[in-house]
Amino acid sequence: MPDLPELNPLVHSRLRLALLSLLSGVDHAEFTWLRAKTQATDGNLGAQLLKLEEAGYVGVEKKFVSRKPQSVYRITDSGRQALAEYVQSIKKLLNLGPPVT
Amino acid sequence: MPDDTEQELRDRLQLIETMIAEGRAHTENWGWAFVLWGLVYYAALAWTAWNHSAWAWPVTVIIGVAVTVIVASSKAADHPMTTLARAVGSIWIALGVSMFPLFFALGMSGRLTDGHLFAAVISAMLGLANGASSILLRWKVQLASAIVWWATAVVECFVSNAKSTIVFLVAIFLCQILFGVYGMIVGGQQRKPRVPAHA
Repeated sequence: MPDLPELNPLVHSRLRLALLSLLSGVDHAEFTWLRAKTQATDGNLGAQLLKLEEAGYVGVEKKFVSRKPQSVYRITDSGRQALAEYVQSIKKLLNLGPPVT
Repeated sequence: MPDDTEQELRDRLQLIETMIAEGRAHTENWGWAFVLWGLVYYAALAWTAWNHSAWAWPVTVIIGVAVTVIVASSKAADHPMTTLARAVGSIWIALGVSMFPLFFALGMSGRLTDGHLFAAVISAMLGLANGASSILLRWKVQLASAIVWWATAVVECFVSNAKSTIVFLVAIFLCQILFGVYGMIVGGQQRKPRVPAHA
């Protein structure tokens, strides 16, 4: 029986997966934009972003724009690699692509 | 593998593709800027026709830049920056930076006496920016706008003084006002409800 790849639990959560995917398509994005795209609550979104940040998958820059706090997120190289590996693992499980080397 | 697990994995792949496409989609609508700058050009032309002041263009352009920066900053807060948006933005910023000192210096030095040349150079530069943007965005309507500007630049070299102004006014209406309104309508239609990703 061939070895089936493990799916990274940090990436596998639906919301965290959506966040990594969204951030992989942009240079950076603001918290409110991520909230609008995922339709998640502030609390849940903040918690999942924090987990991704602690894992080193996203970076955050907090600043003030017109006296309003703003959190700008961007995917890191490790986050991009984790997402790519996750996609490869799913494809391998579904027999859609070449095995992960 | 159980069918429900396989379906879940396929859903995850679909989610990834959808979200990446969401991020890359050109969500920002710049139609308002085209309309604004059409009005700026009209205001500057009207002021020039009224008293031939050398300050007409610099003052109206500075006001236009200020309004553009304020509105764009407020809109940009909720939008992500994509590589494509940065590429298109850099073209228009470079255009503005090229045009302002050139025409300001020509106006102040008294060497901007040929209205035909003025309109032709502005038209060619606007054709360049619209043409480059249309290629990046693969937007045929903007390419049509660029072609109108390039045609205007050529026509301006041959027509009479009276017709020169009319040609320039028509080009501004077509490529700034009409195209800008069209851009706002298309941008509004693209804002559709999104699929929740938190379930």
